[in-house]
Amino acid sequence: MRISPYITQIELSAMSAANQAEETALLQLTTGKRVNVASDDPSAAAREVAVSSQSSDCDQFLRSISSVSAELQTADSALSSGVTALQQAISLGVEGANGTLSQDDRNALANEVQSISQQMMGIANLSYNGKYVFAGTADSQPPYVVAAGVVTYQGNNTVNQVEIEAGQTIAVNQPGSQLFSAAGASVFQSLSDLAAALQSSSSTTDDIANATNEVKAAYTQLNSARTFYGSTLDQLNASQDFLNSEKLQLTQQTSDLVGVDMNQAATNLANAEVARNAALQATASIGNLSLFNYLGTRSNG
Amino acid sequence: MPLFSIPLSGLDAASTAMSAIANNIANLNTPGYTRERPVLQEADPIIDNGIAYGTGVKLQGIESLRDSILELQIGNETQQQGQSQAYVNAMSQAQTLFPSDSSGIGHEISNFFQSLNNLSTDPSNLALRQSVLSAAGSLASAFNGTANQLSAVRSSLDQNVQQTVGEVNQITQEIAGLNTQLAGVSSSSPGYGSFVDQRDNLVQKLSGLIDVSVINNGTSITLTTKQGAALVVGNQSFDLSTALDPASGVQHIYSQGTDITGDISGGQLGGFLQARDQTLPAMQTQLDSLAGGLVQALNSAHAKGFDLNGNAGGNLFSPVSGAGAAASMAVAITDPTLLAASSDGTTGSNGNLANLSAVANQAVSNGMTPTGAYANLVFQVGSAVSDGNTELDASNTMLQQLQQQQASVSGVSLDEEASNLLLYQRAYQAAAQAISTVDQMLQTAIHMGSGA
Repeated sequence: MRISPYITQIELSAMSAANQAEETALLQLTTGKRVNVASDDPSAAAREVAVSSQSSDCDQFLRSISSVSAELQTADSALSSGVTALQQAISLGVEGANGTLSQDDRNALANEVQSISQQMMGIANLSYNGKYVFAGTADSQPPYVVAAGVVTYQGNNTVNQVEIEAGQTIAVNQPGSQLFSAAGASVFQSLSDLAAALQSSSSTTDDIANATNEVKAAYTQLNSARTFYGSTLDQLNASQDFLNSEKLQLTQQTSDLVGVDMNQAATNLANAEVARNAALQATASIGNLSLFNYLGTRSNG
Repeated sequence: MPLFSIPLSGLDAASTAMSAIANNIANLNTPGYTRERPVLQEADPIIDNGIAYGTGVKLQGIESLRDSILELQIGNETQQQGQSQAYVNAMSQAQTLFPSDSSGIGHEISNFFQSLNNLSTDPSNLALRQSVLSAAGSLASAFNGTANQLSAVRSSLDQNVQQTVGEVNQITQEIAGLNTQLAGVSSSSPGYGSFVDQRDNLVQKLSGLIDVSVINNGTSITLTTKQGAALVVGNQSFDLSTALDPASGVQHIYSQGTDITGDISGGQLGGFLQARDQTLPAMQTQLDSLAGGLVQALNSAHAKGFDLNGNAGGNLFSPVSGAGAAASMAVAITDPTLLAASSDGTTGSNGNLANLSAVANQAVSNGMTPTGAYANLVFQVGSAVSDGNTELDASNTMLQQLQQQQASVSGVSLDEEASNLLLYQRAYQAAAQAISTVDQMLQTAIHMGSGA
């Protein structure tokens, strides 16, 4: 055998190749990733950038959904008690339209109606985390103010949108103008009219019934506008489910892109060890045998 | 009659041959050693009375068994290997700056857009506004850090270039020195082969550093770069020099006053230069384009909205563009109330956050979205390293094959040396026996008349 003057270099490179394969397999086993640096698979790494961004977007959408939901639930339950209060006002109006009541009785009913109106004011000016939820986007001040017995809406009609899935936005508020002071169905106007009708001795039962109908119109408006909250919450729930499954899918995708097949990596590790041992043995045995060994034996003997 | 001189020449030849063998064995593991072989020739005969008498053996010289074509191929492959190795090393450093998982610029880009989404659920919330500004700050720092480290990789390559030029100069000086020594030695003289070995070894070393063309002029060699810049001519070496190029801010390489930086493509120097002057600047340009484009798009979206005080939005980031954009990217506002989230001036509006968020899907750099442009950078740096590794593996394999081929010509075989050693030992013994026989014959002749 002719010894290459580069033989050690060749052996070293065989060993370092085996070592490198071993290190790679170990790294893959410990990180669980096939692609640990971009050069391991440049296009998979580039895809991982996008997929990991999508996946963390999902986390953010879920966080946003949870904070939006909390606010929507607060608004919804406030509106639900508002609806109950208006139902009560309607039954007060029906009771007042009964011709047998004395004026004192009707005054007592009117007082109850007025207190319902105050309750409704509290609901309409509901604040959550320091902002008024039924004020549109002018939410730093209470949307409804009473000046000289007249209730005015000082909020606006703007609706905020929040992105809850990639490219999908959802309206997250309902301005008070849609709930409490819609044209022809104003809660405060109708309650004030009903109270006035009950208080006035000149009111006929028809007048009271008409005022009650006004409250009914306001009730119908509030009740139907309120469904916005229920359906938005439903939609948020659906998005939450979607995002959770999307996240799972993205995790799977990441694992397909850059994850390692553990069995494969374990096999690679074993193979690399065998290769390294073989290289070591080869190095150890190279140059051991030559004619000199036999010459030496002969001259000794 | 040359009765003594004939076996004496045999003794001489055998011992010289054994010294060549001993030298071969001694250099068994010397890199670059070329096996030597004694060249024996029959000595000129003496013609006396028409009869030719042999006069023994003479040593014509010691030849080195080299294959100059293989050496040339090894030189070329060494240049390729040096180039790939240096390039891969440089780009591997740059690669760590562009992670594909949850860190780096890509991560900060998506964090920033997520902070906007978070704010959209409660646009007047100061804590959420502050976290948008923090995310914007982290985004700017990620760009700053990556750009600065990319520059640092480039300047360390610049130092490597200078060092390598120094090594090149040292080797070319040594080669010129060997050329001088070889000019005074006959090619058949005993030391010749080892001088040539040393010189070949230096040429191989040089090939690992820079692209070299070798022209063999008998005993001396001329070395130039592939593009013809002289490195060694006869006993003279031509140092390369480096000087700062003001336009590029890096060291350029000069050969006798001519800038040859762009001509060098092989060896370590070629790899350093490719990374320093081509791949890294291209990545810096893209990073700057991404930073500049992102800042411009976000600022223009921000200007469409109104801050918490009802004023029109100013710059979210300080405007940057062109070279240095990534390194100098910075958030322009520190007061969270100045974030223009509102589209109509009311504090509760989140309408302008949608404009800002939309930038995530806008083409901001070379027709790509922010995340897309970053992913493209990851792909590029990954491909640079992976392609470089592929070339490096190919070079290594090729070089090993060439070296094995060379070994089959120039390498030392212990078996062969052992059998040759026996052969010349026997030849020496036989020649010595011949001398002692002649001696006995002469003694017999001397004592012939003594009658003893």
